[in-house]
Amino acid sequence: MDIHEGAPALSVAGLRKTYGENRAVDGIDLVVGRGEVVALLGPNGAGKSTTIDMLVGLARPDAGEIMLFGVSPREAVRRGMVGVMPQEGALLDDVTVGETVTLIASLHRTSIPVEEALRRAGVAGLADRRAARLSGGQRQRVRFAMALVPGPDLLVLDEPTAAMDVEARHEFWQSMHAFAETGRTVLFSTHYLEEAEAYADRVVLMRAGRVAADGPVSAVGALGLEDAFLRLTGASETVR
Amino acid sequence: MTGYLVFEIRRILRDAKFLLFAVALPVGLYLLMADRFIDQGAPAAYVMGGVAAFGAVKTALDVGARTAVERGIGWQRQLRLTPLSGGGYLLAKASVAMVVALPPVAGVSLVAALVSGVHLSAGGWALAVLGVWAGAVPFALLGLLIGQFATAQNLQAYQGAVVLVLSFVGGLFIPVSTFPQALATVAKVLPSYWLAQVGHATAPGQAALVLALYTLVLGAAVAARYRLGTARA
Repeated sequence: MDIHEGAPALSVAGLRKTYGENRAVDGIDLVVGRGEVVALLGPNGAGKSTTIDMLVGLARPDAGEIMLFGVSPREAVRRGMVGVMPQEGALLDDVTVGETVTLIASLHRTSIPVEEALRRAGVAGLADRRAARLSGGQRQRVRFAMALVPGPDLLVLDEPTAAMDVEARHEFWQSMHAFAETGRTVLFSTHYLEEAEAYADRVVLMRAGRVAADGPVSAVGALGLEDAFLRLTGASETVR
Repeated sequence: MTGYLVFEIRRILRDAKFLLFAVALPVGLYLLMADRFIDQGAPAAYVMGGVAAFGAVKTALDVGARTAVERGIGWQRQLRLTPLSGGGYLLAKASVAMVVALPPVAGVSLVAALVSGVHLSAGGWALAVLGVWAGAVPFALLGLLIGQFATAQNLQAYQGAVVLVLSFVGGLFIPVSTFPQALATVAKVLPSYWLAQVGHATAPGQAALVLALYTLVLGAAVAARYRLGTARA
């Protein structure tokens, strides 16, 4: 990080990934500055998850360059600069929440106290519970604690609220907001328009593997995001 | 890596059912076979060597192969979001397999000594227990390889077939000298045949060489397959 003082939290150029005939990601350029909270919005199949997998080193791009704070995704992960909540990713049923988060903390060179990560994710009371006995929403929040525990500068969350009910969702976004308040960067994907509108400063709209629109929420929000969403997915124009 | 190894050892030590079965199965088999074969003139030490090898093979394979379940639920994916390397993960898993492979070997030897009165020199015991245990390394790796291919659903079938072939055709239960020529030739290709040679103290030097070769080949295969699997994801 020291040698990449001015590098943006995320910079992507010419990103492509094809699965067989399917061009999942078809040329994406994106720069996310430090401290931004960005929503990656789009319908299912737009390429959000594939993009995120590549951003954090879980999938290898066919073409393009990705830098997180000026280093490769794998290096950023190794240095604990990025905390990730992948869409698929699981907990071991026979292990307790506390043990799981402690393990993740111990694998990183530096970390925040496990209790603090659990508390921030809203699962402090579940430390002694085995994963087999967690609800879907609780599992998601434990995975959020796993993303928080290295003390990352960037959080990448792939449809974080997918398995949550309304109340859990509300609590989750409060935790996320508290993290962003400290000046750190968040990139999350969602197909809920209201989540993007309520919690992001900027919306990147994806459609068919490309960026269909990219702009601050205020600009898009003035028209009403839902309206803009429909219009933009049809017209592929940039509002910025 | 050590942090992950400790975590995995704690997990397996908590799995009392698995550990108990890992020891009880070969010990039970030994008692059953000793009862039948020793009357027919087979030395108890011979039966002990084969069954101890079976215990090591089955347990080492089981632990490695169970990684298929973790792969299936996405745990390996989760770990790739930490500084733990693929090599570190595999090494930790192989080490756990080796930790758990010792009790069945020691258990069979202990029962053979106590119940059948098997007497060996200090060197003989070292070979029978530590030699057979060390020889389980390629089986731990083979288990990891199965774990990379199998799914949680078809795991039992794969693993069952492999253990069956390795133990019967490898001559862990029935001496290869009684096999038809063709089958005996096949047997000599299997790593389990050579582990039995260690257990029977017949050709430990040559066996060590063959098992080391298997370790290299299987280790390379596991690493290559793991890299391929993560690249494709």
